[in-house]
Amino acid sequence: MKKRFKLVDLDCANCAAKMEEAIRRIEGVNDCTVSFMTQKLTLDAEDGRFDAVLQEVVKTCKRVEPDCTIVI
Amino acid sequence: MSKKQKRMLYRIIASAVLLLAAALLPLEGWARVPAFLAPYLIIGWDVLWRAARNISHGQVFDENFLMALATVGALCVGEYPEAVFVMLFYQVGELFQNCAVEQSRKSIAALMDIRPDYANIEVDGRVEQVDPEDVEIGSIILVKAGERVPLDGRVTEGSSTLDTAALTGESLPRPVRPGDEVISGCVNLSGLLRVRVTQPFEESTVSKILDLVENSSAKKAKAEHFITKFARYYTPAVVLAAAVLAVLPPLALGWTWTDAVKRALNFLVVSCPCALVISVPLSFFGGIGGASKRGILVKGGNYLEALAHTETVVFDKTGTLTRGVFQVTAVHPDQYPEEELLELAALAEGYSEHPISRSLKQACHEPLELRRVSGVEEFSGRGVRAVVDGKTVWAGNDKLMEEAGAQWRPCHHTGTIVHVAVDGLYAGHIVISDQIKEDAPQAVAALKRLGIKQTVMLTGDAAEVGEAVAKQLGLDQVHTRLLPADKVSRVEALLAETSAKGTLAFVGDGINDAPVLSRADVGIAMGGLGSDAAIEAADVVLMDDKPSKLAEAIAIARRTLSIVRQNIGFALAVKALVLVLSALGVSNMWQAVFADVGVSVIAILNAMRALNAGKT
Repeated sequence: MKKRFKLVDLDCANCAAKMEEAIRRIEGVNDCTVSFMTQKLTLDAEDGRFDAVLQEVVKTCKRVEPDCTIVI
Repeated sequence: MSKKQKRMLYRIIASAVLLLAAALLPLEGWARVPAFLAPYLIIGWDVLWRAARNISHGQVFDENFLMALATVGALCVGEYPEAVFVMLFYQVGELFQNCAVEQSRKSIAALMDIRPDYANIEVDGRVEQVDPEDVEIGSIILVKAGERVPLDGRVTEGSSTLDTAALTGESLPRPVRPGDEVISGCVNLSGLLRVRVTQPFEESTVSKILDLVENSSAKKAKAEHFITKFARYYTPAVVLAAAVLAVLPPLALGWTWTDAVKRALNFLVVSCPCALVISVPLSFFGGIGGASKRGILVKGGNYLEALAHTETVVFDKTGTLTRGVFQVTAVHPDQYPEEELLELAALAEGYSEHPISRSLKQACHEPLELRRVSGVEEFSGRGVRAVVDGKTVWAGNDKLMEEAGAQWRPCHHTGTIVHVAVDGLYAGHIVISDQIKEDAPQAVAALKRLGIKQTVMLTGDAAEVGEAVAKQLGLDQVHTRLLPADKVSRVEALLAETSAKGTLAFVGDGINDAPVLSRADVGIAMGGLGSDAAIEAADVVLMDDKPSKLAEAIAIARRTLSIVRQNIGFALAVKALVLVLSALGVSNMWQAVFADVGVSVIAILNAMRALNAGKT
């Protein structure tokens, strides 16, 4: 399943790259892009446990770039 | 400016004033510490806070940490004014960068501002505005003059002209009448239209285009991958070099510790990777935005990159270089006037719905009086015989002429030839062929000017027809009589011929050529307006069906790529220079800050040029 989320206060391009890298490593994530330009996160994760994966993604985001929040 | 940015501006002003006061006051010794610490904390508390917080999260080499370390280091070695100034300059740069990115984001968003805000629906005689997403298929919507068509549909009442510029880049308005299809995103220029909705909002053209452009940043170009990877190694490497610089020379070369540490601190400032990381995707995004303004949709930075390296362009013939519609292109009468020969043939074929009959009828200026025709007999694959005004008219191919006993003569034109005989005597012939699109010759010439090595045409048509078109357009190669599967193998053979860096672009109309589109390095579909299949299958979609847009697309791609290269080169060169100068002790921390934020701002401004790419 693929879903797109808006990101608020994503202020630096390198942080976006780091977030993307970290989210990709989460188990259950098939693919992920964090676009600094559109301020959007596209998450492609396993269907069955999308919500669980999303929780993990939010946690990762908090760790890598605490200023940035994912709008769900 | 947003609230956040305004707050930052006040902090910058407050800190600058305090810094100036501290520098001018005749302070000595320890009194200087609080005097400079005050402006430092005002401007830098959030950087210090974030640095500490991120370290606790295991994020070591980020900008905040580097800036914090560099300025705290400067404070420790007694460089108070410099520490404050560097932090101040850093924040000014960040603010400026923030504004620049936001500005560019806005101007790109404005470009793609084709999303309709509402749809007008008539309920009990009153017009109501509703969200386009809530409109169901089959509803009738009203589109007033000056409004954007919110959903795809068919006109039921009213006629007007539509401005399709936002979708196709084409400035010429398109007339619409009842029965015509209208596409969401166009602007109604004059009259009131009633439109029966044929697609829900999510499936409407406008949603598809917006989706496509928004998703385009997901497909990253090689240059983008390169730069994020580079940044991952660059920062730690420079920090390591700074550590070495702080420790080794004092031990080995006898530098003073303060001097070595100062030089090392410069390294920390330069090691921030943001200028690099931001400028590349921004350039691609700008290029894609600029292209979409001109009716060229590119599905990702990687395709823009591939397009810039195009070496071979392969065209499909019908519908791409030619109109795909048959028309009378020549009339060669033997004894009748041209008009009369055409009329005779059209009348004889008057009852047929064959494409050839239809093009004959279309070519006649006067309406046909079919009651003049009687005794029609069709000969499958050969033609017809009919009695027109009492005369027996034969219209068809050479075999039919043999049957009629007429002395026919061949034609030097290529295309489908309709011979006509009247009462057994040969009356002349009419040539019907597919017409080359007006801008096709220009399109091929423009590609040659851009240095495209090979232009190739593939067609399922007969050899004479295909070769004639290729010759007229000045194409390098033509392959005729191809089945769809042959087209794939042809493209594969041509792919093998391209050089390692060069790419092959295939241009088709998106109908029946999905396999070839996906096999080519860049699959380009034409006439995407209204054709879902084309938008789905291709990597690049030319919204109108002009082949000349291809050269424009390649020019935009090349310009975008050169901007990307300039940005990477410029940022790396300035950083390298400042690193060397810092190591030698020539440059100070201000220059190092410029190498960080100054360069990113310049790179952002340069990236914005990509938006206007392709204007010649």
